[in-house]
Amino acid sequence: MPAEPTANPLADTDSERPAPPAVFVIFGASGDLTSRKLMPAIENLALRRLLPAGFSVVGVARTEMSDDDFRERMRELVEKGGGGGPEAKHVWESFTGGFRYVAGEYGHPDTFNQLKDVLAELDRERGTAENRLYYLATPPSTFPTIVQALGEHGLNKPTSDDAFVRIVIEKPYGHDAASAADLDSTVHGAFDESQVYRIDHYLGKETVQNVLALRFANAIFEPVWNRRYVDHVQITVAESLGVEHRGSFYEQAGALRDIVQNHVMQVLAMTLMEPPATFDATGIRDEKVKALRAVEVLTPEKVNDQVVRGQYQRGWVGGEEVPGYREEDGVDPHSTTETYVAMKLRVDNWRWAGVPVYVRTGKRLPKRVTEVAMQFHSVPHLPFAASQAKGLEPDALVLRIQPDEGITLRFGAKVPGQAFRVRSVSMDFFYGAAFLEETPEAYERLLLDALVGDATLFIRTDEVEQAWRIVDPILQAWSDGDAPLAKYESGTWGPSEADQLLEADGRRWRNP
Amino acid sequence: MAESIEFTTLGSWQADSVTVGQVEAALSDLRRHEERAAVRTSVLTLVVVAKDPGEADETLGVVRHLGARHPSRTLVLVPDEDDGEGSRLDASAAVRLLERDGRAVCVEEVILEVRGRARHHLDSLVEPFALPDLPVAVSLPSRLPSPGDPLLASADRVIVDTRVVGSQADALSRLASLSKRCAVTDLSWSRLKPWRQLLASLFEGRVYRPFLDGVQSVEVQGRPGPRHLLAGWLMSRLGLPRAKVHLADDEHASIKLACSHEGRAGHFQVERKGDERVIDASVRIEGGPSYEQKVQFGEAWPSRSLADSLTRMGHDEVYEGALQAAVGLLR
Repeated sequence: MPAEPTANPLADTDSERPAPPAVFVIFGASGDLTSRKLMPAIENLALRRLLPAGFSVVGVARTEMSDDDFRERMRELVEKGGGGGPEAKHVWESFTGGFRYVAGEYGHPDTFNQLKDVLAELDRERGTAENRLYYLATPPSTFPTIVQALGEHGLNKPTSDDAFVRIVIEKPYGHDAASAADLDSTVHGAFDESQVYRIDHYLGKETVQNVLALRFANAIFEPVWNRRYVDHVQITVAESLGVEHRGSFYEQAGALRDIVQNHVMQVLAMTLMEPPATFDATGIRDEKVKALRAVEVLTPEKVNDQVVRGQYQRGWVGGEEVPGYREEDGVDPHSTTETYVAMKLRVDNWRWAGVPVYVRTGKRLPKRVTEVAMQFHSVPHLPFAASQAKGLEPDALVLRIQPDEGITLRFGAKVPGQAFRVRSVSMDFFYGAAFLEETPEAYERLLLDALVGDATLFIRTDEVEQAWRIVDPILQAWSDGDAPLAKYESGTWGPSEADQLLEADGRRWRNP
Repeated sequence: MAESIEFTTLGSWQADSVTVGQVEAALSDLRRHEERAAVRTSVLTLVVVAKDPGEADETLGVVRHLGARHPSRTLVLVPDEDDGEGSRLDASAAVRLLERDGRAVCVEEVILEVRGRARHHLDSLVEPFALPDLPVAVSLPSRLPSPGDPLLASADRVIVDTRVVGSQADALSRLASLSKRCAVTDLSWSRLKPWRQLLASLFEGRVYRPFLDGVQSVEVQGRPGPRHLLAGWLMSRLGLPRAKVHLADDEHASIKLACSHEGRAGHFQVERKGDERVIDASVRIEGGPSYEQKVQFGEAWPSRSLADSLTRMGHDEVYEGALQAAVGLLR
């Protein structure tokens, strides 16, 4: 870690720490991610006065553009995205003074020589002090080329102790364990792990972080957060959309790579991890890795028994008839790519031994919802007649991550009246009803974290490795064998095989 | 950042010459008959002591927006100047729904006009309405509390505004002693946050930070009160002697720092030039980087500064340091 410059005595330690003067270099500046996420995030950070005056942006892409074209294009993007307006105009105009553009091929040395000159010029003119944050908003196939070129041109390391050079890498981080390891060795050829910020925007969501607040800021939940009280865990990441215009991308990915390897594994790790000793990048990530390491690796036989893969067919979602996966644009009419995965995982550690974790994710399910449900054991002895407790389910604590972020506790209560009858009721806490405050977008939060050097909400190399360790054998078993592809109608909660997976254990999926 | 909050009054009630018990019953009645008010999420009780019904209305207009970030029960006390023998309470209560982007919170308002001797015992009216286990913030829109004010005993936090009281001779020293007794939220201090943040940001990074160790002179303009707070802040944070600080009266606040580092002069400036809600920040370093930046502080609604202040619990040591130094400036 480079030495921190002496603290600024005027900085407000109670507020968010503003970014230091730095150059934010976006590779893929003419792409979709830049316009949809990065620029609006930058604009909001500027409006919230979290970017210092010298902060500069360099766009790098193949498209030919001048600096002014780039500024104009970014302004249009921000305005189109609902940002802008008279309020933002002044900020944006003065802010884009520090915007530069470099056009060129990623494989060509000229591009990086030119980038080097522009960076030196910005350091001189705007006092950015050799601080760089590179962002790879390009297709994954270009990652190795860009990383190597940055190394070859000496743009990968700061030349002084108090400057920083960091690189943010978007998912997918590899398409299996071997390619992830290859990418890692390329990245580590030019950058130390401490410089690498692997982004999963799920971790920037306020409600994912709220899982940590719920667990570790309260004394009442942690004592029951273990095998003694928890019967099983259900993690659901459901989408109502299909593959939309991403058909050809999705054909190569599938639900396991697109959602399970990253989002689901991150949510699982945060739900099951031990309390960290410190709330910082090392403390949190060490515990997440430990939790992931305890997840069982499935043998090919177990993949057959414990993993269901499915694909959506034509059906109705929200009153609208939608095509089946094989009818989508860019999709092979005989495709076997999975759009749904359900699985049962075992976590072999002291806290969770014997508590199955059921995971399901899919497209074209009835609604968009992400939640974690901790399903508690039934009472050891019910002192009522069975007829008095019809409609009583075991207690459950549900952490809803999106939408309607909040917490639901399901417990038994007496039905009013003369007879003593009990049934389950739900107590809902809506995060949004307690605080109407606008929460920062995930990208806004994560960009600022990367600029100030807080890696807590970024994924470390061993986390990627552990996630692939769990997912890779499943991909392998699927490609080696002839695992059936279950079909499900769009607008349902997935194939019946997924229901049978839980029924075999005497359980059933929740209806989120 | 568009702020579009809509209010719906779910129910209201009004009666003269009532008891506290009747007001409490009316309030829970209002909630019981309205499903949307059944769930109440509150983080504090806000007590406003207004000098007249006009000020009460004005303050309510501000604090209603507050519900968006700090859902609260608001109790407005309006002591009547007419000091009769008996005591009398005229009350009104309302339950309102605040909605933004399809999300809603429910807030409660109680206004009590207090006549007769009861106006000397306002603390006895606060306790019955304070929500259990939540902090009580007492707001005094246009004055400072007297040291013996019994209301201070039930307050976890007192909200004042230096811009309103700052021209009074001993206001800052009275505030300084108040801040030793209880946590103080100064709306003026929150309003000055953009200036403080911007100036601080000019010194981020190794190129600029060293100039803070060589401050030659500081010039602060603004109204009495706010300008003293800003100057006090710089003196206390940077350990500057009185002699380096120059104050001037102006409608808008601005700060200029002349510094030097390794023989080079550096000028750092944060200035609001006119009525437009824009602050200009600039840096000029001899033989080095120079640039200007315009920043809009668009969050015009006054409750924004109140809401910002209330996110902080406990004492604000930076503010208290600024206040102490500001008192020194006036000596």
